[in-house]
Amino acid sequence: MRYIDGEMSTAERAAFEEHLSSCGECRQSMDELGSVERLTGMMKIRDPQDDFWEAYWKKLFRRLERKTGWLLMIAGAALIVLYALWKGVTDFGEITFVKVVALLLGAGFVILLISVIRERLHQYRTDRYKDIER
Amino acid sequence: MMVTDGTADISKETLQAWKEGSVKAFEEVVRGAMRRAYAVAVGIVGNAEDAHDLSQEAFMAAHKARATFDVERPFFPWFYRILRNRCLNFLRKKAGRREVSIDVLIEKPGRSESPENCLMKKERAEALWQAIQELSPEHREIIILRSFQELSYREIAETLGISEGTVMSRLYYARKSLYGKLKDICRDLYREGDDQP
Repeated sequence: MRYIDGEMSTAERAAFEEHLSSCGECRQSMDELGSVERLTGMMKIRDPQDDFWEAYWKKLFRRLERKTGWLLMIAGAALIVLYALWKGVTDFGEITFVKVVALLLGAGFVILLISVIRERLHQYRTDRYKDIER
Repeated sequence: MMVTDGTADISKETLQAWKEGSVKAFEEVVRGAMRRAYAVAVGIVGNAEDAHDLSQEAFMAAHKARATFDVERPFFPWFYRILRNRCLNFLRKKAGRREVSIDVLIEKPGRSESPENCLMKKERAEALWQAIQELSPEHREIIILRSFQELSYREIAETLGISEGTVMSRLYYARKSLYGKLKDICRDLYREGDDQP
């Protein structure tokens, strides 16, 4: 491999070429692998147009902005629901429309939370790549 | 070990500013590494649209994890692990339903550009791309890093966190496998090489 990829020193290269001149098996192997290297060397990955790269950062920034927006909104909504639940439990009193809505929102939030935690746990247990270092 | 990672235009000052939360610096980091990130992602997942999304997700994840980045180290190997993880997770979820674009590879401009030659080049590029996409993700990425990103063994070893010996061994098996799939094209190429003065 080092011979094909030009990773040998001049001395190593000369010694290897001498070996190649007397070893048909190695020569054939080098010819085969070398032709693959030559083929890949002739190609390149198509570079998208300039407007693709211009839009790349803009799209990424928008995604980042929206993600932050959603996170803040969910955090705020979660706090409101938790507060409403707490108030409902500690000071329920008379059943009103607002309390029923708060209860429904709270129940929905808890169900979604449990569902997400369960999915994440399942994903973690079955993730074959979890040991890959980031 | 300092490695030239193809994103040398990202200065240490920029990386430091990004780490401290500067969005402007993050833009510079993204602009400095986006082409390579996209090219590597398209090599691993085989599809231009998915590669675009995955490389963007990797940048977002990197931005979130920037506190763990050491500005004394090159950016790309660190970022590559995040990107690779995203791509492998994506492939695992897609399993056998992966869509592969056919026109990702093109032949570099050569000598004669006759219509027959153009067609042959296109077919050759498509056949190679197809063969690369049939390799295992590990072999695919080593071919992408070596042949299309032109990284040295040392740079690949640093990027993947493996030894140079493992780089050589993976390259050997990846090329052997490609040769098995593309014997005829490789033989033609070999003969063409012999015909050249």
